[in-house]
Amino acid sequence: MTKLTRRALLGTMGATAAAAALPAMPAFAADRTIRHYWWGNPERDKRTFAVIDTFQKKNVGIAVSGETIGWGDYWTKMATQTAGRNMADLVQMDYRFLFEYVNRGALKPLDEFVGKSLMIADFDKGPLDGGKVDGKLYALNIGSNSQVMVHNTRAFQEAGIDADLINWTWDDFAKACEKITAKSGGKMKGSDDLSLMIETFESWVRQNGREFYSPDGKVTATAGDVTSWWQMWADLRKAGVVRDKNKTVILDPPIAESGIAVGDTAMSHYWSNQLVGIQAVAKDKIGAAMVPHKAGGKPGQFIKPSMFLSLSRDAKDTAAAIAYMNAWVNDPEITGILGLERGIPCSPKIRAALAPKLTEVEKLSVDYFTAIQSKVGPLPVPAPKGAGEVRDAFMRIGTDVVLGKVEVAKAASTFIEDAQAIIERAQ
Amino acid sequence: MKRFFARNAPAYVFLLPWLIGFFLLALGPILASLYLSFTRYDMVSAPRWIGWGNYEYMFTRDRRFWKALEVTFTYVALAVPARLIMALGVAMLLDKGLRTIGLYRAIFYLPSLLGASIAIAILWRQLFAADGVVNQVLAMVGIQGASWITDPDTSLYTLVVLAMWQFGSPMLIFLAGLRGIPRDLYEAAEIDGTPGWRQFTRITLPLLAPVIFFNLVLQTIDSFKTFSSAFIISNGTGAPADSLLFYTVYLFNEAFKFFRMGYASALAWFLLVIIATFTAIAFFTSKYWVHYENERD
Repeated sequence: MTKLTRRALLGTMGATAAAAALPAMPAFAADRTIRHYWWGNPERDKRTFAVIDTFQKKNVGIAVSGETIGWGDYWTKMATQTAGRNMADLVQMDYRFLFEYVNRGALKPLDEFVGKSLMIADFDKGPLDGGKVDGKLYALNIGSNSQVMVHNTRAFQEAGIDADLINWTWDDFAKACEKITAKSGGKMKGSDDLSLMIETFESWVRQNGREFYSPDGKVTATAGDVTSWWQMWADLRKAGVVRDKNKTVILDPPIAESGIAVGDTAMSHYWSNQLVGIQAVAKDKIGAAMVPHKAGGKPGQFIKPSMFLSLSRDAKDTAAAIAYMNAWVNDPEITGILGLERGIPCSPKIRAALAPKLTEVEKLSVDYFTAIQSKVGPLPVPAPKGAGEVRDAFMRIGTDVVLGKVEVAKAASTFIEDAQAIIERAQ
Repeated sequence: MKRFFARNAPAYVFLLPWLIGFFLLALGPILASLYLSFTRYDMVSAPRWIGWGNYEYMFTRDRRFWKALEVTFTYVALAVPARLIMALGVAMLLDKGLRTIGLYRAIFYLPSLLGASIAIAILWRQLFAADGVVNQVLAMVGIQGASWITDPDTSLYTLVVLAMWQFGSPMLIFLAGLRGIPRDLYEAAEIDGTPGWRQFTRITLPLLAPVIFFNLVLQTIDSFKTFSSAFIISNGTGAPADSLLFYTVYLFNEAFKFFRMGYASALAWFLLVIIATFTAIAFFTSKYWVHYENERD
């Protein structure tokens, strides 16, 4: 029990939630313990600890120890635990990192449990297949999502923005930024500066008709793509309609510090499952817009598995772990607690059960999800090994661009060269 | 043999805990890392021997390695003198013989105890943030402050200031050294009418040289190994734009973020070579500027 407390407290953000959840844990009686590790935010941690509670009540004899931490530190801790052969039994996995971890042999395939202790036969095939690598299921989809431009509906209304937020273009976006900044007298800028967001940049590349990575794991984005992206934001910065550059270069800030949460800006880029978490920290009512389109371009956005649950190589009690995993996607009480916070579930039954009980913001994310179905492109191939490092390089080199210390075109070709070298070295 | 033991046994008894720790806990990993530095090792599959490959990549192709060296050397060159001057200055003030010296010593030592902690690094980040305390104070006197931490041009200096503030342990050593200088030398100088700064350059500095040397070596080694403050302030990445990419931060990222244990081991061994070289230089040159009181030449 003391062990459990200590671990739970390690998660900075989950600490309070953990303390609240502790009294209810019948862990004294438990002789089987599994660890579940996820990246979270206060809202997600609260729900997850409630799930753990419920699961333990229903499965006396299995204790679940929850470990949570913010996205920024998640992968560092995960890597350390992987190296120390001390991974949690169940780890939350991201599409971007799935390939890397499978290739390192850090995850166990789930195929042998499917149909026996893991019941997923009636789940949507597309989202489920996102967790497959080389034909084997390594990651169970626990929600799907897509990119979203979260916006402040009050600011939009006051500035009189009437653009169609599903079909709008980058021009509409720039105009909206101008209007909002002008309306607020510069106090609220139109948008966060997305220069360093490789996630949004990937949509940009797709709008130009290319993928960031080819199926054989080469970098296919061009220096031209990067230049046009950084140049667009440089122009917006010059016009003074996006967030201050010194805020922009703070990497991976927690949701509570985003422009939309603190009221610095009227738009930020996020993933659609994060709508719930953002609304929890934002003062005004939020709305969901698509990433602006390129006039006459290809669809850039895509629907992807937002999060997976994976069984780690270090899991000892796989039966208990799989039971927990199965409850996550099938138990009506547990899926009810989770709601849509991690994304849209891929079980039609669960979706139907959730529909009548949705909160306003959950309804927003479902409606948004429905509206974009025909506007998105196909799911890109899983990122090759080294993609995490490419993301770092993008932010590192982009920082100099945002601060105006290097010429855009030069930085762009440096980035493409670096990205290619990183991928080549990682293989 | 018997005499050797009779004479040295107490010393070895006192050394025993360290010796046990070294052989049991440290030596194995040290040798393992030497081996790993010649391999490609991702911590999951077995290490693969690649000879000098890691070192070759390091020197010929890795731009970030050179950047890390640049950042670290700049830091050491600024932080070590800054901290030593600060420490000596405060030590000399305290040496004037205040009655509550014990209290002051404790107060001035406090930052050194706290300085290595994570909390202080986080505090530092807040202090020097664009809307942090430092800029608010500057704004009061009408100066528009920079965005110290997020600007690659100034971020390193905030860490130098942090290092300067942690002058406690060299200060205590300086203080002990100052106490060891015979008072009658100053009295004699006083009688001869020697001005204060000449007393400092002609008496204090030469007689303090062994202590300065000791502090210099210790602080240099310490500064090369700076990690936690840089790691916290740069969010673990060396950001903004690699301006805080300390050698150790780079090493950590290579090892624990990108799973290149072999390469990280090579980096670690090169750091050892750097520190050893600097220490050797300090020892080699010391005979020209460090004189010990009991030496007769």
